[in-house]
Amino acid sequence: MKDIDEKFLDLKEKASLMLDLAYSSLLYDNRVIAREVYNLEDEVDREHTELQRMAIEDAAEDGDIEKALVYVKLATALEVIADSAREISDIVLRDMDMHPIFQQSLRDSDTIITSAVVSEHSPTAGKKLMELRLPAEVGMWVIAVKRGKRWIYGPDGDFTLKTGDILIARGPTESEDEFVKLIGRKVEWEAPE
Amino acid sequence: MKLWKKKEFEEVEYRPKTVREILTDMKDTSELIVDLAYAALLFNSREIADEVRLLEVEMDELKYQLQMTAMMAARDPEDAEKLAAVLQVANATEHISNAAADIVALLETPLEHRPVLFSILKEGDEIIAFVWVPKGRQRESLESLYEKGSSGLRVIAIKRGKRWIYDPEDDFTVRGGDGLVISGAENAIKQLKEYLGVRK
Repeated sequence: MKDIDEKFLDLKEKASLMLDLAYSSLLYDNRVIAREVYNLEDEVDREHTELQRMAIEDAAEDGDIEKALVYVKLATALEVIADSAREISDIVLRDMDMHPIFQQSLRDSDTIITSAVVSEHSPTAGKKLMELRLPAEVGMWVIAVKRGKRWIYGPDGDFTLKTGDILIARGPTESEDEFVKLIGRKVEWEAPE
Repeated sequence: MKLWKKKEFEEVEYRPKTVREILTDMKDTSELIVDLAYAALLFNSREIADEVRLLEVEMDELKYQLQMTAMMAARDPEDAEKLAAVLQVANATEHISNAAADIVALLETPLEHRPVLFSILKEGDEIIAFVWVPKGRQRESLESLYEKGSSGLRVIAIKRGKRWIYDPEDDFTVRGGDGLVISGAENAIKQLKEYLGVRK
């Protein structure tokens, strides 16, 4: 893969992670997650500029302006998506009153967000995410993990689960029960402060 | 005239729908539309691109519907604050659909000047794929495909003969010879291919 394509792939995945996190922050009225969306947006801004620069450098080399334009426009579209995620998290950071509709609407949606804690006897404790193949086997994507006080966003395949980890995941409603059962039990989120 | 063109400046009229319904609709559409936009680019499909434009026009309409419904639902300042947050989220989903429409506009660039984006769209955690259901395979609902094949993916469009079906419901019946546009985890797509008996 070319450098520029690799950067693109990274930007695309970051933008989609941000959206997942933004909806999670809304669902759990969670400022820590919302703040992470803001941090990621800063990274995306930097990468967006970097991508534009790479596209222009390429054009300076091979003279293909049309191709450079495609890259630049695509990067901008991804930046807009990342920005939209930030707009969603904004509500959480501004302490706006949460309408119960958010909870209902996010539950009604085709893809939902759910969470589960890795219990002591869970077969998933001590396993790497890639061994578990959760997207293929259960249909759920782990988008964030809370370990103690620490948060890990968009964990890699070689991330190893530990008892007590809280996983936030996205997937179809039908997969939720199986996911929670496999991981351990449902999470009781403290009432929003 | 294309359907999306016809609907572009259609008169907006209040329809009795709940805020909850409209918001859910907008969120779902904003997710589908991005996947379809990537698919249009990947398969160089003007038909899928037109569907993206149609969804984008529908999002504009949904936004108006939500604004009207929200205004009618607000009774006091507290309501207004809560509903402002709802409108903020709806706006974000609408911006996403605009971005999707911008992505399909890239199809206007002649193919020889379009960078090969396959590596971007076919690698990574979530990918877009096109899978032919083998001819002669017995009919099966999408629900059953997800259950027996893999649940870590979604069929976002189906090509049947010359016709396209977008965002099919779970009870949609898939036949041999259908082309499935799928968004999902690479592993999940592999698993579905095996289940369908697709070689390679």
